[in-house]
Amino acid sequence: MSIAIDRTRAGSSGGGGADSVRRFLRSQRFARAASYVFLLILWWLASMYEDRFPAPLETFQFLWIEVTGGSHGGIVRGEFIEHFASTLPRFGLGIAISLVLGIAVGVLIGGSKLAEALFKDTLLVLVALPAIIWAFLTQMWFGLGDDAVVITTFLSAFPFVSVNVVQGIQAIPRELRRMSGAFHVSRMRRLRHMQIPAITGYIFAGFRFAVIIGWNAVLLAEWFSSSEGVGWRSRYWYDANRYRGFVAWVVLFIGFIVALDRLVLVRLQRRAFRWRDAQLSTIEREAEEIDVGVKGA
Amino acid sequence: MAATPTTAGHGPRGTAHLSLAARRRVRGVTGLIIGAGGFLLLWTVLSRFVFDEFVLPPPLEIGQVMWEIVESGAFATNFWATIERLLYGFGLALAIGFPVGYLMGTSRWWRAFFHDMVMVAGSIPGITYAVLALVLFGISILGPVVSVALVSMPYIAINVAEGLDSVDRKLVTMSDAFGRRRPAVVRHVLVPTIAPFAFAGVRLSFALAWKVEQLTEVFGSSSGVGFQIRREFEDFSIPGTLAWVFLFILFMLLVERFVLVRLERYLFRWRIEDQP
Repeated sequence: MSIAIDRTRAGSSGGGGADSVRRFLRSQRFARAASYVFLLILWWLASMYEDRFPAPLETFQFLWIEVTGGSHGGIVRGEFIEHFASTLPRFGLGIAISLVLGIAVGVLIGGSKLAEALFKDTLLVLVALPAIIWAFLTQMWFGLGDDAVVITTFLSAFPFVSVNVVQGIQAIPRELRRMSGAFHVSRMRRLRHMQIPAITGYIFAGFRFAVIIGWNAVLLAEWFSSSEGVGWRSRYWYDANRYRGFVAWVVLFIGFIVALDRLVLVRLQRRAFRWRDAQLSTIEREAEEIDVGVKGA
Repeated sequence: MAATPTTAGHGPRGTAHLSLAARRRVRGVTGLIIGAGGFLLLWTVLSRFVFDEFVLPPPLEIGQVMWEIVESGAFATNFWATIERLLYGFGLALAIGFPVGYLMGTSRWWRAFFHDMVMVAGSIPGITYAVLALVLFGISILGPVVSVALVSMPYIAINVAEGLDSVDRKLVTMSDAFGRRRPAVVRHVLVPTIAPFAFAGVRLSFALAWKVEQLTEVFGSSSGVGFQIRREFEDFSIPGTLAWVFLFILFMLLVERFVLVRLERYLFRWRIEDQP
């Protein structure tokens, strides 16, 4: 793993307790724990730098009340479940539409030269458009409500699915395509043994990025054009100048998507791509994982 | 169109009269024109027959508004404000990303230390950067700059680490055996290996950085493209919003096609296999 300029040397000096402490300090588990402590310290320093920015402890206290539905003082209560319950269906619907639309557009562009000439550039522009633009336009077009949120979500997310599907179709080696032509392999068998296996992994990759992008889009759309949902709730605290509540929701936003991504999506993607990535080193695979969605951009 | 004869031995496909590169370019330009034409046509049809002209103004109207924006000079000042922040942010991202990537590529301890931060950074929603930056820094240039840096840094770091990982160990050993000094090894082995990876990281994060920059400007800025888009939105002006959006798209395509692609070609002109 380490190349010629290796910093970790096997320390053999010292004995007994001191040695095991040193080994512990050098262990990767300690490194990971240290990184979290480091982040908390950064957060705490940020709260020192700017009074409006809440410190970690008070934020987590607020978060606890909000999640458990306790009282924030007076009649204002924590409303975690209500808002997640109104956001998740919109989010799910948006992602589902983006998956269907994304695969359809991707197959169209990847499979036909004419469609590629016509729509490839539009697709790349759509990939590059920030979700905020859709949030603004849909708010002006559809007003407040579910429509604007769902439409913002799938308009922001579907291009990433399409780009990945196009890549998957075009990544089929030319030799394979020519060979199956030369040996008169039937269309069905080509689809079954060549095209579908080739794009499955890319669909998963596209789906994963669609979820990540879609989450941001849902939050933005709810911030600007909704009166319920998690995005709206964080804005509620923000507008009330209660930054503790706002930052608590930011923690929830990040926690939700990171848990979804690391626990579900990355595993799906890794499984779908295991035929391709088996020989990659850990770092190559990790670079692939964080790069994959933006590669089409 | 220069009719350069292709070299013999192209098999049954050797009938082409244009060189491969020229043909590709012609095809690219034709595709672009057809694509743009098709897009404008679709848009006109949609605005005329499907939606209201108020809801989706026809391209011509947007074009006029775009022209007014360019003529008034608002285009230049706001884009420059955006670019300036983007460059500062990228500078910061490179300054932090390179050492972090170096540490990650050379030491297991630091790999483990940065692992979670780098892996998670890509999935954090952009809106959190934008609004946290607003709370922390208020309306100032610092917000967009720090957001851009935070978004791009992990990509640069992990790509630098990946580059270090792929350094040819035999070359390093050989350089040691022949008594090359460390700076020489870094200059002639490490840097050329890492450069393409680092550049890939920059290319990838560029697309993301644009978006987060826009978002940060929407929330906490008093100039820049994002701010203008927000202003038009608050005036409930669909033509104004769309005009800024399209100026933004045009500008981004220009930067992407001409600046980054040229730069890439220049930096990697020694890699023969990539040339058409």
